[in-house]
Amino acid sequence: MAREAVRLAAAWGALMVLLGSTLGLSYVQLGSMNIAVALTIATAKALIVVFLFMKLARAVPLTWVFAAAGLFWLLIMFGLAATDYGARLWVIAS
Amino acid sequence: MPDVVASAAAPPEPQFASLRQQSEVASIGIWAFLATEVLFFGGMLLAYAVFRKAYPLGFAEAGRETKIVIGTINTMVLLTSSVTMAGAVYAAEGGRRRLLTLLLILTAALGLAFVGLKGLEYSKEYEEHLVPGIDFAFASPHANAIQLFFFLYFMMTGVHAVHLTIGIIVVLVMAVRAGRGAFSPAYHSPVEVTGLYWHFVDLVWIFLYPLIYLNGRVG
Amino acid sequence: MTAAAELLPGLPSRPIEPESYLSDGFTLRSWLLTHDHKRIAILYFASISAFFFIGGAAATVIRLHLIDPAGSLVSADTYNRLFTMHGVIMVWFFLIPSIPTTLGNFVIPMMIGAHDLAFPRLNLTSWYLFVTGGLLTLYAVLAGGLDTGWTFYTPFSTAYSNGHVVIALLGIFVAGFSSILTGLNFIVTIHRLRAPGMTWYRMPVFLWSLYSTSVILMLATPVLAITLALTAVERLLHVGIFDPALGGDPLLFQHLFWFYSHPAVYIMILPGMGVVSEIIPCFARKPIFGYRFIVWASVSIAVIGFLVWGHHMFVAGESVFSALVFSLLSFAVAVPSAIKVFNWTATLHGGWITFEAPMLYALGFIGLFTTGGLTGLFVATLAFDVHATDTYFVIAHFHYIMVGGMVTAYFAGLHYWWPKITGRLYSEWWAQGAAILIFFGFNLTFFPQFILGYLGMPRRYHAYPPEFQAWNILSSAGASILAVAYVLPIFYLGWSLFRGERAGPNPWGATGLEWQTPSPPPTENFAETPTVRRGPYQYEPEPVPQNA
Repeated sequence: MAREAVRLAAAWGALMVLLGSTLGLSYVQLGSMNIAVALTIATAKALIVVFLFMKLARAVPLTWVFAAAGLFWLLIMFGLAATDYGARLWVIAS
Repeated sequence: MPDVVASAAAPPEPQFASLRQQSEVASIGIWAFLATEVLFFGGMLLAYAVFRKAYPLGFAEAGRETKIVIGTINTMVLLTSSVTMAGAVYAAEGGRRRLLTLLLILTAALGLAFVGLKGLEYSKEYEEHLVPGIDFAFASPHANAIQLFFFLYFMMTGVHAVHLTIGIIVVLVMAVRAGRGAFSPAYHSPVEVTGLYWHFVDLVWIFLYPLIYLNGRVG
Repeated sequence: MTAAAELLPGLPSRPIEPESYLSDGFTLRSWLLTHDHKRIAILYFASISAFFFIGGAAATVIRLHLIDPAGSLVSADTYNRLFTMHGVIMVWFFLIPSIPTTLGNFVIPMMIGAHDLAFPRLNLTSWYLFVTGGLLTLYAVLAGGLDTGWTFYTPFSTAYSNGHVVIALLGIFVAGFSSILTGLNFIVTIHRLRAPGMTWYRMPVFLWSLYSTSVILMLATPVLAITLALTAVERLLHVGIFDPALGGDPLLFQHLFWFYSHPAVYIMILPGMGVVSEIIPCFARKPIFGYRFIVWASVSIAVIGFLVWGHHMFVAGESVFSALVFSLLSFAVAVPSAIKVFNWTATLHGGWITFEAPMLYALGFIGLFTTGGLTGLFVATLAFDVHATDTYFVIAHFHYIMVGGMVTAYFAGLHYWWPKITGRLYSEWWAQGAAILIFFGFNLTFFPQFILGYLGMPRRYHAYPPEFQAWNILSSAGASILAVAYVLPIFYLGWSLFRGERAGPNPWGATGLEWQTPSPPPTENFAETPTVRRGPYQYEPEPVPQNA
């Protein structure tokens, strides 16, 4: 039980550090990289939640497929919508 | 000293060959459901992406109006609640009835704290005329974009809050059942399933936080 | 005395039916609180049948109205509400649930050798969600309806429409969750509840089709749900997400809406293809040709179907680059469907074919679906679609697939599994007659519409230029035949429940596990879980069941 507690405490610590760094970096001028950095840190937090808390690594392989499918389908939506929004000027009123 | 309660687990339902199969199927089921939730939130994220790309200045200006203190505290609260929830699952695996109950109650309490702070945040935004459709007013050439941002902000955090509230209720139900000794190392899949759902709600917030609160903070 | 005779002593004595899922409780409670997938299937059957006839009634009025070019039967506004009601009810409350919730619910556990689905209570919840959504939408219709078309395009639906839009959106939203949970149930069941020996490649094609359908149900419907929610909020609060005047984009609605609604058409057709894949081998007495190609074609349709939604927006204003991409992908999605048609045809070749009603419907499906599918390639072609979009050509295209394909396949499956579900045989003579009448009536209704569209008659118009009248009259004449033909099964199927000859376990001599149980089956399906020893469709030289 103690081992799990240490693991959880370490995860909590890592999450707080990541939160602090994303907050801090948002005040630093990185131009168009700001969003990329923020989402990368968010992904790091997400990986801790998914692998340490949701224990995806220990789940049956089928759950990997489901998790991947959700993300992949989101990419389909964003990717193909981008063929339209990336190639069309539509903003009329700001 | 672990207080293992030897509760006789109910037999598996007739369509299952064993309790183990039943637990595994429950776990698979919730993961499949979470995949659908990714797409549910995904629609709003697409809208956000489209409008942020179209109105970078408006969205940045809107981002500065969000309550970063409340947002950051809420993020800490929710991340911590994920830790307590994960702890609860460990406690269930180990047959630690009192610890399990305590951690579940703690998780629900942190969830309630989040909802409370969110309510406070919403009421402030209402006072500042930032609620679209309800006397929204903002003096800026980017007012339309700012209204769009806040519309998506209220939709995304609102839908998230609904999910969180459902989670809190489920966690409390689990806490009551746990207190009565319903779970054991051999049977605790409802706690696992609840945990997976709770962590997912946390995951959504992990991505909403930078999109809502951290834009336009430079300078 | 059986439980039935004890409960109802006043009944005249007649041969007591053997114990089955039908005699396992006669109270309303035992039906409304059932966990049995077979009873839930029947609950769904009753619900979707009601919706089919309501949607059909709207279609009847529409076709009657279109006999006159001046459009004098109903007002223009009423006409708009009629076609909206027809679309909304037929799409969400008949076509999408049809085969999966009725035949799928009934047959899946039996076909895989299980006692029930993975989550029986969730299954019942799905039905209640469906009924709730249906009642909300019916209320919207009866309270005056809405005139947005089933596609709810913005900004008309959000800013200008007079009608009960929000209630209808809510009804569809709720029904959407019914779909999602059904899909979840099917996927988990097929993954984890198969009987020993039932490997993936020993599963009948119907299961692969329903699995593919369930993937779409789970991944597409949530997007519809959030889109409808955004639309409802926009209508109520006018925040601007779809309103250009406030910086929004009407096309965003269409992207989100069609991201679901195109895969939705594959939700509708894949189960039908699955049914046909069961029937053709049985009534041609041959194993299906190219089993692996067919099953992977089902999966491909489900996946590629998500990549083509922009073909509904060719003239709506999406970028030309986007239109090109979607057009190309739309051509790709036709390929797996074509593979199936070739394989069904090859299955028939050299077979020993008999023409019972299920087979007549299945053969009709192949012809009508192919016609509809080929015209899909027409409208996937940008240059042609510029002229044909929003004309009767498109209406004919999707009705050939949805009605000529899907409804026909539904009837095929209904007749095929009717003996198993009810324990009775229907009258072949009447059933074959109805099938032929449907085929004839259907073609007379919808083929003229291809011509009308090609000639330029727009859709959703309550009046039209007089030069189109002759084709419209033909179409309405066909519709009247179709209406009669669709009502006929109520009579001969209903009659079979009381007077039909009792069916044995396997009247068709089919090889699936579901035919190794009594008709109607007991509540637990199998006294003991069967062991599967061979693949499906072993019809040559003699039919051998999968557990033999």
